[in-house]
Amino acid sequence: MSDSFKLPPLELEEYTVENGLRVVLNADMAIPVVSVAVYYNVGSRNEREGRTGFAHLFEHMMFQGSENVPKAGHFQHIMKCGGTMNGTTSSERTNYYETLPASQLPMALWLESDRMRSLAVTQENLDNQREAVKEEKRLRYDNQPYGQIFDLINEMIYKNFANAHSTIGSMEHLDDATIDDVQEFFRIYYAPNNAVLVLSGAFDPEVAKKLIETYFGDIPSQPLPPDLDVSEPPEVASNYREWDDKLAPFPAFLIGWKIPPRRSPEFHALYLAGKILYDGESSRLYQKLMKGDESVIQLFGFTDERRGPSSIFVGAIPKPEKDLSQIREAIMNEIRDLAAHGPTSEEMEKIENQIVNDAVRMRQSSMSRAQQIAEYALYDGDPNIVNSELYDLLAVTADQIRHAAGVYLNTENRALLDVVPAGKG
Amino acid sequence: MTPDIRRDPPAPLEPVPFDISRPIEETLENGLRVIIFENDRLPLVSFRLAFNLGDINDPADFTGLTSAMASMLTEGTQEYSSRQLAEKIERLGASISASASDDFTVIAASSLSLYSSEILHLLSEIVLTPTFPEEELDLYRRNTVENLKFQRSQPGFLAGEQAARLVYGNHPYSKASPRPEDIEKLDRETLVKYHAKNLVPNNAIFIVVGDVDRNELIEEMNHLFGDWQPREASVENFQEPPRRDSRTLTLVDRPGSAQSNIVLTNLCIKRTDPDYFPLIVMNQVLGAGASSRVFMNLREEKGYTYGAYTRLGTKRLAGDFEATAEVRTAVTGESLKEFFFELDRIRDETVGDEELRDAKAFLTGVFPLRAETQEGLTNLIVNQHLFGLPEDYLQTYRENVEAVTARDVKRVANLHIRPEEMAVVIVGDAGEVLPQARPFADSVEIYDTEGNMQDETKYVVGDDAETADVAGKWSLNIDFQGQRLPVTMSLEQNGSEVTGELETMLGNGQIADGRVTGSKLVATAQAEMQGSSIEFAISGKADGDEMTGTITAPIVPDPLSFSGSRQT
Repeated sequence: MSDSFKLPPLELEEYTVENGLRVVLNADMAIPVVSVAVYYNVGSRNEREGRTGFAHLFEHMMFQGSENVPKAGHFQHIMKCGGTMNGTTSSERTNYYETLPASQLPMALWLESDRMRSLAVTQENLDNQREAVKEEKRLRYDNQPYGQIFDLINEMIYKNFANAHSTIGSMEHLDDATIDDVQEFFRIYYAPNNAVLVLSGAFDPEVAKKLIETYFGDIPSQPLPPDLDVSEPPEVASNYREWDDKLAPFPAFLIGWKIPPRRSPEFHALYLAGKILYDGESSRLYQKLMKGDESVIQLFGFTDERRGPSSIFVGAIPKPEKDLSQIREAIMNEIRDLAAHGPTSEEMEKIENQIVNDAVRMRQSSMSRAQQIAEYALYDGDPNIVNSELYDLLAVTADQIRHAAGVYLNTENRALLDVVPAGKG
Repeated sequence: MTPDIRRDPPAPLEPVPFDISRPIEETLENGLRVIIFENDRLPLVSFRLAFNLGDINDPADFTGLTSAMASMLTEGTQEYSSRQLAEKIERLGASISASASDDFTVIAASSLSLYSSEILHLLSEIVLTPTFPEEELDLYRRNTVENLKFQRSQPGFLAGEQAARLVYGNHPYSKASPRPEDIEKLDRETLVKYHAKNLVPNNAIFIVVGDVDRNELIEEMNHLFGDWQPREASVENFQEPPRRDSRTLTLVDRPGSAQSNIVLTNLCIKRTDPDYFPLIVMNQVLGAGASSRVFMNLREEKGYTYGAYTRLGTKRLAGDFEATAEVRTAVTGESLKEFFFELDRIRDETVGDEELRDAKAFLTGVFPLRAETQEGLTNLIVNQHLFGLPEDYLQTYRENVEAVTARDVKRVANLHIRPEEMAVVIVGDAGEVLPQARPFADSVEIYDTEGNMQDETKYVVGDDAETADVAGKWSLNIDFQGQRLPVTMSLEQNGSEVTGELETMLGNGQIADGRVTGSKLVATAQAEMQGSSIEFAISGKADGDEMTGTITAPIVPDPLSFSGSRQT
């Protein structure tokens, strides 16, 4: 099917505001809804040693009000017109987005521009958001069974501090944050020339351009942030670690591999290798471990896409009394088989259909369109990749998948984290 | 640009009309209604085969049969095993699922439109020739019984179970879930017969949304479903839900619970009631969202709970109104007071212009957001047809919301929210909750988590009981997995109000809102432990200078018992 299938391209218009703000417009009148996404080119990878957790702390600060929007006003304004909104932080970027009825486009642009221009970076806001972040860290990481394993394994995979440290950061570093640090962070990273603004949905591009000029046009640009080195040696930082998890009810393990950057041919091949191994009920590991051996309660796997060296993970929670090393051996056996023989033609047919299906479904919602466009615009400087990425993935051959599995997965160069339930004596 | 333009939120642009086109409807010879909604925006298709057959249609002696039949449809057909079905569906990059709710059984499939024929064929297999294999049925029974047991540990389920019983009485909506013994007796033959009798074309609608050609589709439908024979549907004969004439209190005792799970409920409207639109606007003002009144009061202002909401459960034949929150045990009574305050306020006072405008703006604004994906749009269309709503329902939804007035809101609040006949259900520590909640109801009944009625007197503290004096410094030992952990509790008492401090080896906690009733002490301590903030719920019984009781922390699953004495 891959030869015949053509997805109608998304129509994109891109330009740069005088202050350096990059804009991409994707008008699509099908449903009277509009999504606005603002992506700032700052994530945990930009944090210095001793200042971890800043990018995420800042995401919280962005909801604390600005010159004309009171504290919590952002949420209330969006809510009252029937919209949805959020913000998230990763190693790569911090994003903010909202979806609204089409007529409310000015509201989204007003809210986003007001905080880009005039965020209320006050001691009071800093103090209370620092506490909110600590609470979030307790709730989502420290007090959750298995809550810290992904942060731990990143420290085992990556050697470069920029890649290895966690996005949530450390309590001590958050405590050390001064108002000057935070103001400096805002000035450097939250400048229009360090951001991408994407609109997707039902709007008139000419009206949108005028509104963007009105609200964002006179926000001053800043000198660009310092260059960043995210390079890594090929080997992982550490092969093995045992982790006492006080809240975990069962043992578990997580295996991580260091792999080439997102969008490289090797990354594409490994992404598809991952789908064959762990995605869906007909995947190899699901059929082997969940159905055949009935040896695990839960099985999961995913890739972590980064502009620099990236990673791929497979993890499992075995059933009580099952031998963990046997399960790991079964996983490595499947990987060895994939590295030796490559995917079957049925598997190739399945993943082709799945990635086409994913690509089509992604286009249904204005928010997911805006987010993908923003990533390509920010990471690659080219939003049009949203229209070509599917074909790059479809061009990957079974032999490339076999080869990539052999080089990057069927290797001792991997990190194994063993989770030991330590709660009960 | 001058700062003035930035000062106030901008006015919206001209509203963009939301035109959902009307579907095409055909009826096959066997009576199956086919509703086709052609939409070539993306090369996708969604199918829903929906039956007017829900859990309420379970035979009296076979609760859970409809859901079991629905779940088992995808576990094997004449041509394919469960695994082969999973592989066939995933190889198309597609999905098929089947499930039953109170009112309906729905088989849902979606795929790239390119595979429309393949997925339609698999769907017809699943619906027309399921085999209910013994080994898959065995797995279903085991997993379902496990889930049913697990459910009884969830306070939300226990509260819902009692609320449904109290509102619906002998009407089948009262059955929140089957019992393990219902599931254990399910056998293959019963499933086969039930399927043959009830999954019939004349009791179904088939809805197609997406990039399809209607003529080709009808032809395929005739080919796949043409031999499917109609059969007379069973006649429904349900008892009416009971009329309630007083406010009752039902407690489900979970000793040592740190929280009370509160549900206030009364019978409300069915989905097709003409008061639907005024009611959803009323509910938006009152409690549907995080800027509605009960949330602003109980969470934002009082801090009793993480969330407090009201909800309309509108079904095919009846419906219910609910106000719900999970609150700290010590503020159960205060929370009831605030709930009833808000229920009275929306009945007595006319809602203000701005509040009404915001509620309507939310409802009309969020409506198109729901229709952005094909799944979302399909759900709207399926609901419209299953409930038999007017043909122009989706087209006129926003007008109908806009037309609601403040007078309408007040009228429907008075008609459909009836605090004097509400069932108050609380899942929590009955000993602690009873004295706080009792004044809010005309009568009380108490159950354990298995649904067995308990003797009320064992929870009652006599009216003449003197409020114990618990002030002073208490040396207590907590029994933790065979170890005795010492803690010190220093209390100050003012009437029945108690404050103080809890000292443990791991860190200290502040007690702010303790209360003594008779000889019983209920308090919460906020502690900082190893850098984490933890809330302890303390429940003690004082006997002179001796105290026994339990302490609960969110990180420990079960309450820990303690005992000790007052330092003299």
